Amino acid sequence: MKGAEPTPVDETDEPQNGIADSDSAASPRADLHDAIGWIILGVAVAVASLQMDRLQDRHINPFTIPGLVPGLLGAGMVVMGIILGLRSWMRGGHRQAIVRATANQRERRKRALLSVILCCGYSVVLIGHGLPFWVASSIYVTCSILVFNRISADPVKRRLSLLAVAKALLIGVLSSVVVWLVFERIFLVRLP
Amino acid sequence: MLQGLQDLGAAYLSFMSPMTLLYGLGGAFMGMVMGILPGLSATLAIALLTTMTMSLDGNVAILVLICSYVGALYGGSRTAILLNIPGTAANAASCADGYALAQQGQAGRAIGIATSGAVTSTLLGVLFLATLTPLLSNVALKFGAFEFFWLALFGVTLSGSIVGGDPLKGWLMGLVGLLLAQVGEESLYAYQRFTFGWESLAGGIALIPALVGAFGLAEVLMALSDPIERKIHDLTDSVLPRWRDLFQYRWTVLRSGLIGVFTGLLPGVGEDAGAWVSYAAAKAVSKEKEKFGKGSIDGLMAAETGDMSSVPGHLVPVLALGVPGSAPSAVLMAAMIIHGVQPGPMLMVEHPQFVYHVVAMTTLASFAILLFGLFGVRPMLQVLKVPRNILMPIVFLLCTVGAFAVASRLFDIYAMVAVGIGAYFLRRRGYEMAPLVLGLVLGPLLDKSLRRGLVLSDGSLEPFFTRPISMVLAAITIFMFLLYVPIFRAAVGRVWKAIAHGARGALGKSDI
Repeated sequence: MKGAEPTPVDETDEPQNGIADSDSAASPRADLHDAIGWIILGVAVAVASLQMDRLQDRHINPFTIPGLVPGLLGAGMVVMGIILGLRSWMRGGHRQAIVRATANQRERRKRALLSVILCCGYSVVLIGHGLPFWVASSIYVTCSILVFNRISADPVKRRLSLLAVAKALLIGVLSSVVVWLVFERIFLVRLP
Repeated sequence: MLQGLQDLGAAYLSFMSPMTLLYGLGGAFMGMVMGILPGLSATLAIALLTTMTMSLDGNVAILVLICSYVGALYGGSRTAILLNIPGTAANAASCADGYALAQQGQAGRAIGIATSGAVTSTLLGVLFLATLTPLLSNVALKFGAFEFFWLALFGVTLSGSIVGGDPLKGWLMGLVGLLLAQVGEESLYAYQRFTFGWESLAGGIALIPALVGAFGLAEVLMALSDPIERKIHDLTDSVLPRWRDLFQYRWTVLRSGLIGVFTGLLPGVGEDAGAWVSYAAAKAVSKEKEKFGKGSIDGLMAAETGDMSSVPGHLVPVLALGVPGSAPSAVLMAAMIIHGVQPGPMLMVEHPQFVYHVVAMTTLASFAILLFGLFGVRPMLQVLKVPRNILMPIVFLLCTVGAFAVASRLFDIYAMVAVGIGAYFLRRRGYEMAPLVLGLVLGPLLDKSLRRGLVLSDGSLEPFFTRPISMVLAAITIFMFLLYVPIFRAAVGRVWKAIAHGARGALGKSDI
């Protein structure tokens, strides 16, 4: 049973522990942009809270007006947004030049956009508009597999042969039918 | 005391039917599979299973959820060892030593250590769950609106401070969670806040769809957008638990188990804190410090026992205070409410048997993971070999079902998608989701407690700072914020150094 040679597994130049290179997560410039966004959101929340009905006609205690907590949260967001902005300013965020996206980042963005389109297409367009759940799900799973195979770095996966399409369709239908059976028939859960 | 033991015995007996045990094993299995898949967390496992088990009897459903909770954290260690990616956030501390052992051809041994540590520490945690919950419930009966306000704020602040590397971003996410919780009809006057005339928003943003979005869809997007697919290490040696290792590192197990339980008691801290604090403590007292991070058995044992024993620890504040300690326990609390049990100080008065049922469920969960640890490791790892192009669309399918099934509303699916896409972009910019979850769960409590407190005090803020428990919670919360101010932090550092220096001096003198 005892040990064999370890297999080399890391062909990536990315940081380990699951932390992939984010879109400049720690970059002061990105933080400066975030800070502006937080301040705008905080001000919008605070203004909306001030405009909330104070229910004076119902003679409620003025300390229990519905806008109290949202207003405080909006104010808190503005304060923290200002602190984030000042911090990134002090770290030189306003002077930092826009860095051109690497090939890896561009690829990541393309894949993310495709994933979002597929997910929204399924959950907003296909689901809940009369199409049976298992049919809508089969279409989504099959399309997702084919699209991501098509943009794969592996040339073998990229080729959309008849066999590859049939395999994707089989996985799509099978997984959708199994989910439908398990949830709706066995656990009596209503599906969209 | 005798009544308590009698209730506990009855609770154990109530689960001794083959069908119930099978449900428990099923829950642990589902949790382990979710935990093994990188990024899919215990939170998602519990959220999806909540919808699946809605038609079951309440106790059986909660058993399934607790088993999946324990199973997910246990399963996550496999990915940490074989892929150097934590299956769940709680397994991050296991990566360094677990993966180093795998590189040395000892992946099976590392998994065996994780199994023995996980089972022992969960059982240790169960002891504390049974004894501390009634004690804390008694204290919690003295809590009023002022104390609950601070407890809610303390939970969100602590979560923001600890989770991730940037407290400021953590607090901002906490604020977003608290804000999302304000959407819909508020509890005092049924006034609709931030609904913009949209009727679907009147009920607020439901917790489970939001969590499925934040932890499920966001992770699907993370996985599918990554251009590189990782491969796992081959598993060549035996994965059976090494009880000899357990005996050799018994003090590590005991210390880490206690640390895990006590970090679990703090609201908002999360399971990963139990693992990291245990790991740091083991390193501090170890005679082989240099081995840490390079395949230390001591380090792996500490990390695995610390995170697993925090599960029963997290259940204590959920049951006694109605305040969850982590994102998975927040969903578990929501599931308890769905099944007609309202956790909080009155639980021990109204349904004392339920607490003992939870104790029995957690015990069964630890035996379930032992069973899978002995016989199910290799088959389960096959799931890691499924290409993500196939796996992730199926996971999203489950997310859609999970979001819809709680209330059968299409709006919940749209909310899940919106939260998921937002969470993906926020995570890419360094914002963590756990404080948002805590904010979402604790938002209504904070809102209600602040306004009720102000009515009771006729608008005076004094009782928020002068009642004994409030004073302590307020002081800790304000202290956490002040730690972010560099001058204050430097002053605290100096005081801390002086105390440590003084203690060392005193010890030195006493040695002489």
